[in-house]
Amino acid sequence: MFTSFRQAMAWLHTWFGLVLGFVLMAAFFFGALSVFDREIDRWAIPSTRIEPQPMPSFEQVLRPAFERMQPTRAAVDAMRSRVDGPMPEHFDTPVSWSAYTTHRDPVLSLFAGFDVPNAKDPEEAIWAEETIDPRDGRLLPVDQLKVGSGFFYPMHYGLTLDWKNLGIWIVGLSALVMLAALVSGVVMHRRIFREFFTFRPGKARLRSVLDLHNLTGVVALPFHFFFAFTGLLIFAATYYFPVGHTQLHELHDLHAEAEARETGLPHQRAGVAAGLANVDAMVAEARRRWEAKGKAGEVGFLWLQHVGDANGHVSVYRAGTDRIALVGDAIHFKASTGELIREEPAATPVGRVAEFLTGLHLQHFRHWLLRWLYVFGGLTGAVCIATGFIFFVEKRKRQHAQQGSQGARVVDALAVASVTGMVLAALGILVANRLLPEDMVGRGDWQRYAFWGSWVLALLHAAWRSAPVAQGRANPAWREQSAAIAVMALAAVLLNWATTGDHLLRTLAAGYWPVAGVDLSLLACATVAGLVARRLWARAAAKSAAPMATEAKHA
Amino acid sequence: MPETTHAAGLLLAALLAGFAGMGWLSLAMPAHAAQVWARALPVRQAQSLRAAGAIGVVASLVLCLLADHASMAVLVWLMTLSGSALLVAMLLSARPRLLRVLAPWVALRSRPAS
Amino acid sequence: MSQVSTTFVQPRAARLQIVARIGAAVLGGYAFAWGFVAAGASLMFAAGMGFHDAEFLASLLGVLAFLVVFLWAIATKRPWWAWLGLLGAGGLLAGVASLVQAALL
Repeated sequence: MFTSFRQAMAWLHTWFGLVLGFVLMAAFFFGALSVFDREIDRWAIPSTRIEPQPMPSFEQVLRPAFERMQPTRAAVDAMRSRVDGPMPEHFDTPVSWSAYTTHRDPVLSLFAGFDVPNAKDPEEAIWAEETIDPRDGRLLPVDQLKVGSGFFYPMHYGLTLDWKNLGIWIVGLSALVMLAALVSGVVMHRRIFREFFTFRPGKARLRSVLDLHNLTGVVALPFHFFFAFTGLLIFAATYYFPVGHTQLHELHDLHAEAEARETGLPHQRAGVAAGLANVDAMVAEARRRWEAKGKAGEVGFLWLQHVGDANGHVSVYRAGTDRIALVGDAIHFKASTGELIREEPAATPVGRVAEFLTGLHLQHFRHWLLRWLYVFGGLTGAVCIATGFIFFVEKRKRQHAQQGSQGARVVDALAVASVTGMVLAALGILVANRLLPEDMVGRGDWQRYAFWGSWVLALLHAAWRSAPVAQGRANPAWREQSAAIAVMALAAVLLNWATTGDHLLRTLAAGYWPVAGVDLSLLACATVAGLVARRLWARAAAKSAAPMATEAKHA
Repeated sequence: MPETTHAAGLLLAALLAGFAGMGWLSLAMPAHAAQVWARALPVRQAQSLRAAGAIGVVASLVLCLLADHASMAVLVWLMTLSGSALLVAMLLSARPRLLRVLAPWVALRSRPAS
Repeated sequence: MSQVSTTFVQPRAARLQIVARIGAAVLGGYAFAWGFVAAGASLMFAAGMGFHDAEFLASLLGVLAFLVVFLWAIATKRPWWAWLGLLGAGGLLAGVASLVQAALL
């Protein structure tokens, strides 16, 4: 029983913060990396180190690419359990063709959904994805893992734990706990305004760690709150509270039919075959209409539904490069004739709020300063959580040493694994990306193994070296892993040079910022880690010298 | 295009205004004035520093709004303030005397601080 | 240190209390939030808002409602009743949603 609300909030902050903090570290750190996910992709896949490209011509590039797409063997096998009967050799009925691009994409992702004959759910579709070079439609080799957008990004919202979306649920719970930790933290913090700028590194360890924890938490409080909140909102209707697909699905279907009638955009296929008019002409018309509204822009999203059917329609969306909203101002055309069906009206007030909140988190806008400020915010959040762990251990380790408890030791080992260990895992996949042979089969999978393997090794190392914590002293794994980070980050930069020839002088001279930026960030990471390691080593040396000094005094 | 030199200049000014604003707000607090000048400031000086801080913060918002679409400008401003506050806090703990440059009109005692 | 007071309470009872608080906050809170989102979305749709708008706004308010009841469930003096109450309220709200749906179809 708690004696006060403040005490209850302190308990909540401490224990929920500790347990879910390990997940939140990953969400914040990989979220920060995801701000520059496409740039990391280009570092990881040297053949894509070209300039960003606009949406290419449908007739010349996209259509032939879409027409040859088929689901992978793995996707077909995964679908088998949802089908009554044999799976076709070839999927002939595409229900959806789509392409999405932003101002940072050098390569284009294409998605094709196909109708599944004999499926248990009549709305079932099987999907195929491809990445092409937009300049000529050339296919990117299948096993090129997009380390940024295809690994770090899904890691931050789902820990790449796809079984029954378990990872997404875990991150969702941790996001809610983040909100609770922020509120409870404010309730606990008695001098929040007076100590707004306070950081006293000279004071006792416990005080200075708490100062840093409070500082990084309070100074970026709006950022931390809004990112956790908007993250939850993005997945709310699909994963966390899917009322429209479950309890209220009849209401959803009622609305879909009414909307189809009102907008002239049919929800179902007609079953009558029809051709496809010139899509490039439709895109040109859409761009002309945007310009006429004073909103000249690029195509962000191109979507063909009910392909090859009389009910088919083509939707052209404007890329939200110059504002927060992701895409918008959709214009819809009848696929078989190219005539205009509908120009989307301005969004409703709720729609605008939704666009703002999701766009704020997903950041497809062009604003390099704001992007870097987001990275700073994410890393600040990671520091807040890390200092929270360190405070927890520091506060209890002497007491636990006297009681003979292993609690502080276990938490410290886990903390090392989730702070320095996580960075080592990220560096591990980048180093493996450069070391593994280009034509290796399963290259993507092996890079993932390198990631998880590095993390497991870091955890084992942290656990093995954590014995001193049970005696109330520091875990040497912190300084050892910091040193390892410095070495590996430097190694990654050198490997990029050795394997691609794109060293910093060359990329800076050419102004090719995606690769130069990643290399510079790696060097900055190496520098910070090196300085931290040096300071921690000096501190350890001073500690071991101090007992000898007292011996000398007594002698 | 938002990335013209003009917009970049406005954003730089917004960053500086935000930093100055947060700096002045911190210097208006007795504990931090003591870190920077080894003494507390007279009440009126502290009050005018607080006012200057508020002006700096608002000026930063205006400059952000001039540089970008409103939806982005507000985010840039809030993040600028966060970054500025962190930088001010780090300077106060590591090199407090550097912040004297924000208020050069504050007279130093003729006797050097012991 | 902020700890549950165990001076006059058996350790097992204290542990059960913690289970009650966590259950109430996480499971009770989720049930309440689900009901809140379902009722909110159906009622706003019935009132004329677009379905996806209603779903989004209800989710937005639902997440905030989850946060509020989460904090309350941790701090309340009667966590077992809180757990029951949140499950009940959630069920009631979900019932309202289904009624609204039935009325509209």
